[in-house]
Amino acid sequence: MIRVSEVCKDYHSETRHQFHRVLSNISFTVAPGEKLAVLGRNGAGKSTLVRLLSGVELPTEGSIEREMSVSWPVGLTGGVGPSMTGNDNIRFIARIYNKPFQDVRDYVEDFAQLGKFLSEPVRTYSAGMRARLNFALSFAVDFDCYLIDEVIAVGDQRFQKRSYEELFEKRADRTLILSSHVPDVVRSYCSGALVLHRGRAKMFDDLDLAIAIYNEL
Amino acid sequence: MTLAARELWRDFTVQRQVVGGIIMRELMGKWGRRNLGFAWLFCEPLVFAFPVIAVWSAVRAPYEHGLPMVAFIWTGYMPILIFRHVTGGALGSLRAAAALLYHRRITPLDLFIGRQGTEALANLGSVAVSFAVLYTIGAIEWPYNYSLMMLGFLYTVWWCLCVAMIVQVLSERYEIVFHIWPPISYLYLFYAGFLYLADWIPSKWRPIVMAIDPPLHCYEMVRSGLFGYRMHAHYDIPYLSFMLVLLTVFGLLLMRDARRHIELE
Repeated sequence: MIRVSEVCKDYHSETRHQFHRVLSNISFTVAPGEKLAVLGRNGAGKSTLVRLLSGVELPTEGSIEREMSVSWPVGLTGGVGPSMTGNDNIRFIARIYNKPFQDVRDYVEDFAQLGKFLSEPVRTYSAGMRARLNFALSFAVDFDCYLIDEVIAVGDQRFQKRSYEELFEKRADRTLILSSHVPDVVRSYCSGALVLHRGRAKMFDDLDLAIAIYNEL
Repeated sequence: MTLAARELWRDFTVQRQVVGGIIMRELMGKWGRRNLGFAWLFCEPLVFAFPVIAVWSAVRAPYEHGLPMVAFIWTGYMPILIFRHVTGGALGSLRAAAALLYHRRITPLDLFIGRQGTEALANLGSVAVSFAVLYTIGAIEWPYNYSLMMLGFLYTVWWCLCVAMIVQVLSERYEIVFHIWPPISYLYLFYAGFLYLADWIPSKWRPIVMAIDPPLHCYEMVRSGLFGYRMHAHYDIPYLSFMLVLLTVFGLLLMRDARRHIELE
């Protein structure tokens, strides 16, 4: 269970002495195994919500209770150092999550298919290679709940297909929270949708209704 | 073991793994695989320290106030280097490493211990290496009481870590810290005892200065350890420890609240 109760998030204004309320009084729960879509226009607060759920930022008011392990946002650079090699990054993730290096490496090698580039610094990678490494690292650690912030379509067609399989088929029993602009993805994989608008949120079980409302915003 | 003790042990294990990971990452990120690699860790401060010592000892007399000049500058300059490296690196460092905080296991305190701890150890290493080099070429004599000198450097590191902890959190909250830090770290030269001994302060002022100047106690310990009977040292280890414990607690309290003030892009 993830319980979000009466969460507000303010950010400082850079130019004036005031706050911007990005999220205002948001409450919802996510049950184990649920696949929740987060819909909203640009600036509606989707990424802020993902950051709060991941725990990297704290809500200004309200609370978020997590009764399961929550991933860092899938595919996020997550502190991948540019001068570190792919293997260094694998070693870092393995170390902080206490996984055997060889297991994580085998998985990443198989999933990202970076071959000999794993021993090169990440700054020499192309954008697609970087994304593949980041995705592979996110999937290499086992979480109860995966957070996905928009970027799920990375890499070539083949890699996208593998990412979808990895998330929606192999991890069908896990909880997913997916912020997305793409109605097709939401319709085919999600069981509920949270629509964000002007800092407020409303939960829908009826996906078609949610998408219709999102399109009207 | 009780449940609470077991939980504490588990938390401690996680923290050890996380800090270990950050230290390894820091070492690789900072010094890389090319060039001198890990050796650079010890050489970097030397590259700063030796030219300064060379210039100073060229323009001043070999003995001043009965103390050998090179050794006096060495004891003055090494703690300044430690201070600059440990506190300077802390400025805005949470913001710079914010992406790492997406990993829920990593806390701001872990980042601090990992990064500033590495920096502090590297600087202690360079103290040892530069001493060895200066001793080998005969520029410095064997300390009168080397454990006191070492203790002085350890207290210097503790003091620098306290300041770094406070600076790190405040720089996250107040933009102005970035602007006032360069002049402060320059004025610190006069505050810390870079160029003077506590004994040179008029005796009616000395107790007041010593009360508000923890790094001066550290300097006095280092110098007393090195010069022994050749100087009259003034330091108070229990008082210094008490001040540093207070500062550490204050820093940890600030750090506990640090996540609240982090704003990512």
